[in-house]
Amino acid sequence: MLRLVLHRIAATIPVLLLVTAGIFSLLHLTPGDPIDVMMAESVDATVKENLRKQLGLDQPIAVQYLTWMGRLVRGDLGRSIRNGEPVIENVGRRIRPSLQLALFAMTISVTVAIPIGIISALRHNRTADRVGTTFALFGICMPNFLLALLLIFLFGVTLRWLPISGYMDPLEEGWDGVRSLVLPAVTLGLALAAVITRTLRSSLLEALAEDYVRTARAKGLSEWLVIRGHVLKNALIPVVTVLGLQLGTLIGGAVITEYVFALPGVGRLVVDAVFARDYPLVQGVVLLIAVGFILSNLLVDILYGFIDPRIRVR
Amino acid sequence: MASSIRESGFADAASVAAAPATARSRRWDVWRRAARARLAPLGAVVLLLAIAAAIGAPFLAPYDPLKQNLGNTLAAPGRAHALGTDNVGRDVLSRVIWGTRVSLVAGIVSVAMAVVAGTLLGLLAGYAGGRVDGIVMRLMDAVLSFPPLVLALALGAVLGAGLTGVLIALGVVYTPTFARLMRGQVLTIKARDYVDAARALGASGFQIACRHVVPNAATPIVVQASLSVAFAILAEASLSFLGLGVQPPQASWGSMINAGRGYLQQAPWIVFGPGAALFITVVGLNFVGDALRDALDPRLSR
Repeated sequence: MLRLVLHRIAATIPVLLLVTAGIFSLLHLTPGDPIDVMMAESVDATVKENLRKQLGLDQPIAVQYLTWMGRLVRGDLGRSIRNGEPVIENVGRRIRPSLQLALFAMTISVTVAIPIGIISALRHNRTADRVGTTFALFGICMPNFLLALLLIFLFGVTLRWLPISGYMDPLEEGWDGVRSLVLPAVTLGLALAAVITRTLRSSLLEALAEDYVRTARAKGLSEWLVIRGHVLKNALIPVVTVLGLQLGTLIGGAVITEYVFALPGVGRLVVDAVFARDYPLVQGVVLLIAVGFILSNLLVDILYGFIDPRIRVR
Repeated sequence: MASSIRESGFADAASVAAAPATARSRRWDVWRRAARARLAPLGAVVLLLAIAAAIGAPFLAPYDPLKQNLGNTLAAPGRAHALGTDNVGRDVLSRVIWGTRVSLVAGIVSVAMAVVAGTLLGLLAGYAGGRVDGIVMRLMDAVLSFPPLVLALALGAVLGAGLTGVLIALGVVYTPTFARLMRGQVLTIKARDYVDAARALGASGFQIACRHVVPNAATPIVVQASLSVAFAILAEASLSFLGLGVQPPQASWGSMINAGRGYLQQAPWIVFGPGAALFITVVGLNFVGDALRDALDPRLSR
């Protein structure tokens, strides 16, 4: 097990290096002078020169890269050129709504998807299954910004049950905070629920056809015990993998969801930074997101080794 | 049961260079299987309609998609404007029809770029092996370490707003999928007897790649590409919803939906028109992609 963990961590290092190099070169991909792109033409030339010096853009590119990496290693992700604050502080202020949103969305999707997936598989090719698979198809094909607007139209504008934008912290405002997160979490959770439903359904169908299920039935276990003890346990393994793989989609979805519902999260910060042409902030936030994504995938991989002992042997 | 036997026979036939007679029955088999999927024809109709709308936009659109009419803003759907008008009085239907062009071009071009780049990289990695393989695949892993939308957003941002930036960004995002697929195919095909035979006959590595490896690896690439187009269309719409991509006043579904969200209460049709077009196109493409997969690759059809 320890070997698996160390092996996975070692494999992550070159990827991390490439990711940082990619993010570093983002600034140099801009057509023309990045300083001119970041600042309006009317800005005074000395201000531009100061920014160029501050970002080290007057140095040779190798020196720039080494300085940048050196600062990264010390935990300095740079500063926003708009508000002058360190990237870490900008992100720190925004992380709470994002985490709450992601957690809420995951909870919703798992609670919806697991029963639907189980019913779909047990009622294979019957009406309940058709409803389940249609739901999954709907969730996969529905763009989340469109779903967000449909939900806003239905529950916010027409029925007036839920707030359509803005954020209140559920930990401080309680019920009102939860209400402010319902529509965003449903928006973000639907696509995930669809993917989980599909995966669980097909892995359940596979597990149901296994010999050990026939054995369990033959020895007289009730159907429920067969499902719970033998089928579900094995069928949930692919679901864990998919949950890990879908994390990227979840983060991307959060960008859109936070934008539509005006939630002050990290996703919204990315969009704002992109449109403010605050490239150092874009670089810093994207780097944090990528590293978070890599680390959570690493975690899922290792977790997978715990859940499925067969992996450890490989 | 009977069908599964036939399917495994089909798989064998696919891996051996088929005689002309077998090729015809194989093609027939493919068609029959595609037709058996009941939803595939529906998807094909949607796809054909979308292509027709994209090509024939100048003739099909009842109005000029850019022409404003400030005397007739936010008009409800009716006889004159089937999908109503937007906040500056432009005909929503005409804009949806023109927007089809942007969506299809974005979906097809970005995936085509990814297929070309990914196939070449995958071939290189699978063929060269060793250090080259390691470098190429770590590079692909690095691209995959970004959430796709975040990467597209960051790339789109530095490349500048506009369709070209979005196309390149999406092309980069989808490249690793095809590189991994191609590399896997190369590794399996390279070990086949007919490749050994070709090498024994004196074929160069390049010849083997063109004659044997690429044609045999094409099926999974085609299937993956058809499904990727649907997701690329969604991704383009998301990016233009956020304000990257085609710039106003030009029409794209994503930017129309974004522009309409301020008028959800008075004029929900501004959002619903392009929204329905987007959703139906993506569903249709999914049906076609699933049917293609079932037809071309019976092993995956479960």
